[in-house]
Amino acid sequence: MANFDFGLIMMVSGMGATLVVLYLITWLIKALDKLFPFKEEKKEESS
Amino acid sequence: MWGDALAGLVAGFTNLTWQSAVLIVLGSVLLYLAISRKIEPLLLVPIGFGIILGNLPLSALSAHEEGGIINLLYKAGILTELLPALLFIGLGAMIDFGPLLANPTMLIFGAAGQFGIFLTLFLALALGFSREHAVSISIIGAMDGPTAIYVSSKFARELLPAISIAAYSYMALVPIVQPPIMRALTTKKERSIVMAYGQKKVSQRVKILFPLVAGIFAMLIAPMGAPLMGMLMLGNLMKESGVVERLANVSETTMINIVTLFLGLTIGASMLGSNFLRWQTILIFILGFLAISLDTVTGVLLGKLMRVLTKGKINPLVGAAGTSAFPMSSRVVQKEGQKANPRSFLLWHAVGANTGGQLGSVVAASVMLAVMAAMGITPTP
Repeated sequence: MANFDFGLIMMVSGMGATLVVLYLITWLIKALDKLFPFKEEKKEESS
Repeated sequence: MWGDALAGLVAGFTNLTWQSAVLIVLGSVLLYLAISRKIEPLLLVPIGFGIILGNLPLSALSAHEEGGIINLLYKAGILTELLPALLFIGLGAMIDFGPLLANPTMLIFGAAGQFGIFLTLFLALALGFSREHAVSISIIGAMDGPTAIYVSSKFARELLPAISIAAYSYMALVPIVQPPIMRALTTKKERSIVMAYGQKKVSQRVKILFPLVAGIFAMLIAPMGAPLMGMLMLGNLMKESGVVERLANVSETTMINIVTLFLGLTIGASMLGSNFLRWQTILIFILGFLAISLDTVTGVLLGKLMRVLTKGKINPLVGAAGTSAFPMSSRVVQKEGQKANPRSFLLWHAVGANTGGQLGSVVAASVMLAVMAAMGITPTP
């Protein structure tokens, strides 16, 4: 395989996969945040 | 008999080659930069002294001298890829993914900040480097020392010293390299954009689950990068879980210091005059510089696109923070933003992009390794 072809495959698959993985991780984070949203801690009343 | 005794005493001098002498001077220069100029001292002190030790004739302190003490460290830590992996545990224990988790859109800049790697790969191939060498050189663009060491110890061991020094040196030069590129690609109006500061809070449960879930996901996609991603996420999980404070503390302090010392020493001592003083080394430094510059270019250009798509809500400067050079890149973005508009406070957004860049660099390296493995390109035995 010529070096140009190798470089092209690495760029397209490498950069493409990096973009896709990070994009999916973005959605993963949003899903986690939706499942476990931040809640303010309730202040315990002193007895 | 007297002659033999004298010959033994001057053997070090008579065996000193000009290449060794040049490297000893180079090691001294690195020590000067580290001690006097305070440039990356944690790395340049062991690397600089390692270079000196490795190039002293007949000392058996070169990383390649069988049976020497530094050779033992080199075989156990570098050839096994153990030291970079351990370093990642410490890095994971130091990273705070909070700003990224609060604003996950910044992760897109973490992707754009890796584009320089792939562009540099083309250039390295065009200049005649082999595929393995080209990949190892281009990974300097990840702006991540341990990642560069990990990949080059797999595929280009003979280039490891040059690649490591280039990677760490350029990370330290980010405040010099990035600003001119940022200013050249943006208008003052663009740099002056004030981004809304609304620090969304993230639950601790999300901070704990993120390294686990995202780590498993990324490692399933690119198993070859699991040693890096796995160790990074282990360190982060230890930090966020709050139940193994001792392990997290030792990972981000004692362990990372010991590993940094051994890594620097072995890399420095593997840098011999015969394999370093070549035209190839100069090309590696030039390509490394290009990789980092291209990362900044692509990040800022994506920032400009995001500004258009969000109708002016995103400041393009934030794109320059999508690299792994944490926290330098985010500080540079904050500084440039404030120069254009003193009311602009970009640090929070830049930190999100910067931690995204740290994650992005590991993902990019993992993906490259996976693609190379699929193409039948195996590491050096």
